[in-house]
Amino acid sequence: MTTVRIWFTKTGEASYISLLDLQRVMQRSLKRSALPVWYTMGFNPHIYMTFASPLPLGQESLVESVDVKTAQDPVDLETWQQALSKVMPLGIQVTKVARPAHKAEEIKFARYRVVLPAGAKTSLEDYNQRESAVVMKKTKRGQKAIELKEYLPKVAYEEQDGQLKIELLLPAGEGTNLNPSLWLTFLQDNCGLNITEASVLRTHLLLENMQDFS
Amino acid sequence: MFDPKLKEALARVQKPGRYTGGEPGCVIKNKDEVDLRFAFCFPDTYEVGMSFLGMKILYELLNEHPRWWCERAFMPWLDMKEEMERLHLPTYALESKDPLTAFDIVGFTLQYELSYTNILAMLDMAGIPLYSKDRDESWPLVVAGGPCVCNAEPIADFIDMMMLGEGELQLPEVCATVEQAKKEGISKKELLRRLAKIEGCYVPSFYDVTYQEDGRIQAVTPNEPCAPAVVHKAIIKDMNSQKLPTNFVVPMVGAVHDRAQIEVLRGCVRGCRFCQAGFIYRPMRQRDAQLLNRAAQDLCANTGYEEISLTSLSTSDHGQLEELLDDMAPWTEKEHVSISLPSLRIDNFTESLIEKTTKVRKSGLTFAPEAGTQRLRDVINKNITWEEIEKTCNLAFKAGYTSVKLYFMMGLPTETLEDIEGIAKTAQQIVELYYANPDKPKVRSVQVTISCACFVPKPHTPFQFVPQDTEEMLREKQQHLLHSVHSKKIHVNYHDSKTSFLEAVFAKGDRRLAPVIEAAYRKGCVFDGWDECFQYDTWMETFQQFGLDTAFYANRMIGLDEVTPWSHLDYGISHEFLVREYKKATQAQTTQPCNRVCSACGANKLLGGACFDYSKDLVH
Repeated sequence: MTTVRIWFTKTGEASYISLLDLQRVMQRSLKRSALPVWYTMGFNPHIYMTFASPLPLGQESLVESVDVKTAQDPVDLETWQQALSKVMPLGIQVTKVARPAHKAEEIKFARYRVVLPAGAKTSLEDYNQRESAVVMKKTKRGQKAIELKEYLPKVAYEEQDGQLKIELLLPAGEGTNLNPSLWLTFLQDNCGLNITEASVLRTHLLLENMQDFS
Repeated sequence: MFDPKLKEALARVQKPGRYTGGEPGCVIKNKDEVDLRFAFCFPDTYEVGMSFLGMKILYELLNEHPRWWCERAFMPWLDMKEEMERLHLPTYALESKDPLTAFDIVGFTLQYELSYTNILAMLDMAGIPLYSKDRDESWPLVVAGGPCVCNAEPIADFIDMMMLGEGELQLPEVCATVEQAKKEGISKKELLRRLAKIEGCYVPSFYDVTYQEDGRIQAVTPNEPCAPAVVHKAIIKDMNSQKLPTNFVVPMVGAVHDRAQIEVLRGCVRGCRFCQAGFIYRPMRQRDAQLLNRAAQDLCANTGYEEISLTSLSTSDHGQLEELLDDMAPWTEKEHVSISLPSLRIDNFTESLIEKTTKVRKSGLTFAPEAGTQRLRDVINKNITWEEIEKTCNLAFKAGYTSVKLYFMMGLPTETLEDIEGIAKTAQQIVELYYANPDKPKVRSVQVTISCACFVPKPHTPFQFVPQDTEEMLREKQQHLLHSVHSKKIHVNYHDSKTSFLEAVFAKGDRRLAPVIEAAYRKGCVFDGWDECFQYDTWMETFQQFGLDTAFYANRMIGLDEVTPWSHLDYGISHEFLVREYKKATQAQTTQPCNRVCSACGANKLLGGACFDYSKDLVH
């Protein structure tokens, strides 16, 4: 049995598919592709799938991946990519099909591109001048206080076409996972940002040594 | 890529995936290359609308035409409606995200009377004037189809044209006519004149309705030479001539019925006297098993669905059902697709049917005896007996089923408290059957659920004449049912009688209701079919405000020779037949299924000959 990692984007329309729904969407897309994917045994057979580092609803990404299994050997990756490209919904583009190099547990950081309206400059300045920015994060064991300044002491931005472009590097994966929404919510609650005007795009998933997860 | 305002709205609402489109199977065309744009509007939520087979059939049919583009629009749920109003976002279609005003035709499907206010909301939020008379040719043509068109007189003033019967036939002709009209630049009135000539097309503004002093209808008279005195529904004579859909838009956020569906037959032979669908879709026409098997396989391959349902009003009446299931078995098993059979009847449920459908999973068993005593089942012509219920339950228990759901109606004509007790007794007897069955599954206990709806008399049925029970009567019957159930294995659900009451008013309503519906909408009534949204008091106050008596519509016996708001709409069933059936009902006399004996309802004229070959034995 071989594991195949399918890399895809999740943008536009597709950014509004929740993880639960995404599982069903993938299940059906794989079925439409007629590729020889492996089904679990048992009473309700379904396609075996594992997603690495799922994304919150509404955020976009260039680096989503799902692992499936196949009995095909060797795996014809080119055919897989072609077959999958034809069956995906709008906003999901298959960028690569490959044998996995790393385990999902090895993901330690993620890079995001956040876009805010030009008017949000004051909120950013406000944040940058603060010494401390504590947010409460829901965890499995209740609430946990997190000092955002540990991870984002100052946030640089670039003004372009009436928008502010920001690059964020945040811890991700199974250990500490900080999503930009935590920071954005802080800006909304404390620095007057309208969070619904923000868009978030995940551009990289990184390992401990800052190499791309692949 | 998304409008920033739309993005903002989506960031604030529950399940935003309902409002984005982009699902697999959705059709995107270049709007500069199309000559006609059709917005298919479902006046309820995305989840409900995406379950509806009719939309999928017509979506594929219209989009096959290279110069036409059919898109979908749904009623936004309350949170999204509020956001859209706040941000001045008009009702839009999911494919292009263009507002409804960008379309040539805005078409609503009328599946349920209580979605009327949603139609107004969808028009209003798009900035389209509600009344047909206030829209000239610069506005989209607003049309409607679906079962409620058989008496959509309450909303007739809002709709430019309604389509009676089967849309596969008339809709392409309507689109071609509108496309031509656009090219010629003719007036809306002239366009409507042309449309009125198409089979099944009904232009409400071409008819004047006069009333008697007591509120009953005097006459419905055409005011245009081109308008026929009676509009006849369009019908597909041979279902095998009509291609089955081979692809669906596959929803990504849970639709109510999220599975592949193939329609094995249309119409129904049974003639249950309360069932509107059983009369307006007559005669029953079935598709060949071979054709169905091929279509089912294509549909599953194209959609990736893991479940396929063989749908119709009464699937077990298909003459080749077992053959079809045998044909489907090899590929469904190989592709991990399960088959589900809704609308089975108790009287022809066989052991091999159970076996064929439960290979993959065993869920609950659902039946609809509809009434609790044999006498009342004879009144409504639900021709099933206790012996058949017994036989079927025994089969099901033996096959491993442990839960049975039973559908009943309350408030049926001639019903007494004894009939209500009969509902509880039927459920109790099924519980006892389970424990008496030597082959029942070990250890587990049985669960019988009674689901009780309130009877709503509907036009074009033999019960169109009868009054609906008043709320007090229905409440009393509901209490009586609860007191008649003594077992913990029996669970009772019943519907709110207030929504059924409004449903009855609309179902048999006339054109005088239009301003009431508009006013109620302006006061905030939408999603009236949803218990959490239904504003009974607002409705009653509005009826009062317009001086209309709801009991006149819902709780009055209609004379057997009375002109009704729907007298000019013909579904092939003769008035004499409805009267005959009504009289038989009052004497608890049954009528045979029409593939066994023809009861001369008149629908055979639609096919131009007998509906069935009676030399063959068609009943199993």
